[in-house]
Amino acid sequence: MDEGGGNVTATTLMRVVGLQKSYGGLRAVDDVTFDVHHGEILALVGDNGAGKSTLVKALAGAQPPDSGRIEIDDKPVPLRHPRDAEAARIGCLHQGLGLVDALDVPENVFLGRELQTKVFGLIPQLDHARMRERTIELLDRFGVHLPRLNEPVLRLSGGQRQTVAISRLLLQDVRLVIMDEPMAALGVEEGRRVLELVRNMRAQGISVIVISHNLEHVFQLADRIAVMKNGRLVGVVETASTTRDAVVRMITFGQLH
Amino acid sequence: MQNQPAIAHVSAIGHADRRWLFKGLGLTIVVIALALIFALINPRFATVANLANVLTQASYYIIIAVGMTFVITSAGIDLSVGSLLALVTVIGFDLIKGGMHPLLGVLVMFILGGAIGCLTGLLIAFVKIPPFIATLAMMVSLRGLALLHSAGNMHYGLPPSLTWLGQGDLFGVPVPVIIAFVFAIFGGWLFNHTKFGLHVRAIGGNREAARLAGVPVNLVEVIVYVLMGLVTALGGLIMIARIDSTQATIGTAMEIHVIAAVIIGGTSLFGGSGTVYGTVVGALLLSMMTNALVIAGVDYFWQLVVMGVIVLIAVAINNLRERRIPTLSLFMRRNPEESVANNQGR
Repeated sequence: MDEGGGNVTATTLMRVVGLQKSYGGLRAVDDVTFDVHHGEILALVGDNGAGKSTLVKALAGAQPPDSGRIEIDDKPVPLRHPRDAEAARIGCLHQGLGLVDALDVPENVFLGRELQTKVFGLIPQLDHARMRERTIELLDRFGVHLPRLNEPVLRLSGGQRQTVAISRLLLQDVRLVIMDEPMAALGVEEGRRVLELVRNMRAQGISVIVISHNLEHVFQLADRIAVMKNGRLVGVVETASTTRDAVVRMITFGQLH
Repeated sequence: MQNQPAIAHVSAIGHADRRWLFKGLGLTIVVIALALIFALINPRFATVANLANVLTQASYYIIIAVGMTFVITSAGIDLSVGSLLALVTVIGFDLIKGGMHPLLGVLVMFILGGAIGCLTGLLIAFVKIPPFIATLAMMVSLRGLALLHSAGNMHYGLPPSLTWLGQGDLFGVPVPVIIAFVFAIFGGWLFNHTKFGLHVRAIGGNREAARLAGVPVNLVEVIVYVLMGLVTALGGLIMIARIDSTQATIGTAMEIHVIAAVIIGGTSLFGGSGTVYGTVVGALLLSMMTNALVIAGVDYFWQLVVMGVIVLIAVAINNLRERRIPTLSLFMRRNPEESVANNQGR
């Protein structure tokens, strides 16, 4: 297993080659080719309708592309179904988060992959204690603290709910997480915490693709920025060697320089 | 869209807690207080014989209401319990009276209850008939079948081995009370400590999220109604064992009693969260009130009126607790965060 070592190493985790997806006559994603490195945060920016969501859905197996291929560790991976993405250890954080409000934190984290013990060595029952322990471990590993674990998550704040949803992904030992506008609708402090969590994920060797409209967040967070316009990839630039103006120009005019 | 009501009460339930002890505590106090009041008003209420009577009468309602807790928590409802109970008991009674071995007769009752529950579950999970409509139709049809089987026929005279289930006692404790108590503990365990219980709460809370998490939502839903059918057969068995008779009209209006017990207990009518302990206390409360009304000589028809009013009050309290009535919640303590969430509309 590759741990990435924390900083951006230029080894490629995922390679997207010539990806194409049309809706009727509209080319939502048009011949897009790029790499995602091990343990990097790649921001995906562009105007509404630039094709970011369609691209990301293809990577998550939610919407198979018309043509093109996706390789992970130099091997082509068919992503025809969310299950394929899960098998490839790609996690996707949707805007709806997919939490069950009435369940508590460990129950949400473990829903669908519950830990069980046997009563009298015979009858299976939920292992609440171990699920709770593993949840705390997981949260600790990524530097997150939640005040209350055994209350319905509906009582948690937006950022905390976000954290619970991310924990669900981390439990599956993902190596690439795709996040759609994770900081939208969060307060300043909450947004900062989620930024920190994403950085901690990178430190653990997880690659992250973040869709965001907020360039301030993008510049705070991303190692590289991929810009899309009208379904095409305008370019991928290193955050350290570009400016906001340059990125805004790429978004609006679709030109690298 | 599915998240909207949830976000609207993100910070709403301030006091309630998932832990049953706290959730049921307030209601438990209400029940004890009411018992004391009844005892003060009428000493006949407080006799050991009468209290045993209250508990025994509560026993089959407790059993069936525990099953209903699963149904309502899964965001469903079952209006057909009374009719199913009638059908299962008239057939079981008839078979046993006709010479079938009591054990075999009881087995037939359970198989019939489970099978009809399964049919209801399939209609709801796979044919996508809303639970209210599916079970309303079942309520009418099953009552029709019970009447076809034995309209105008009163069955009586069970073998002692069966009446013991309803009339016997162990160390002075009525057998039906013991059965109900043991069953309620089993139900609480099933609800809180098993994968099945978790999945029931998950599909009631957010079916789509549960499905995405890999919960077999349709299967869980069918099992919930199978369980409800089995539990109805058990409740029916104990009921006929106690009164040693049955007829096609038995269990009329039972659904309202059972649903009331569940809602009074604190289970959300909208699914997702529930409490078996609360249900037991809710069923006790209803039996106690019915008993007090009988002792006070209140007419049966008035008892029906009171029952309906209690249900309305319980549902209103449930709604207030979840802040689902905006105009009423204006009068309750409001929290600024919540009004923001309400206005966000996402």
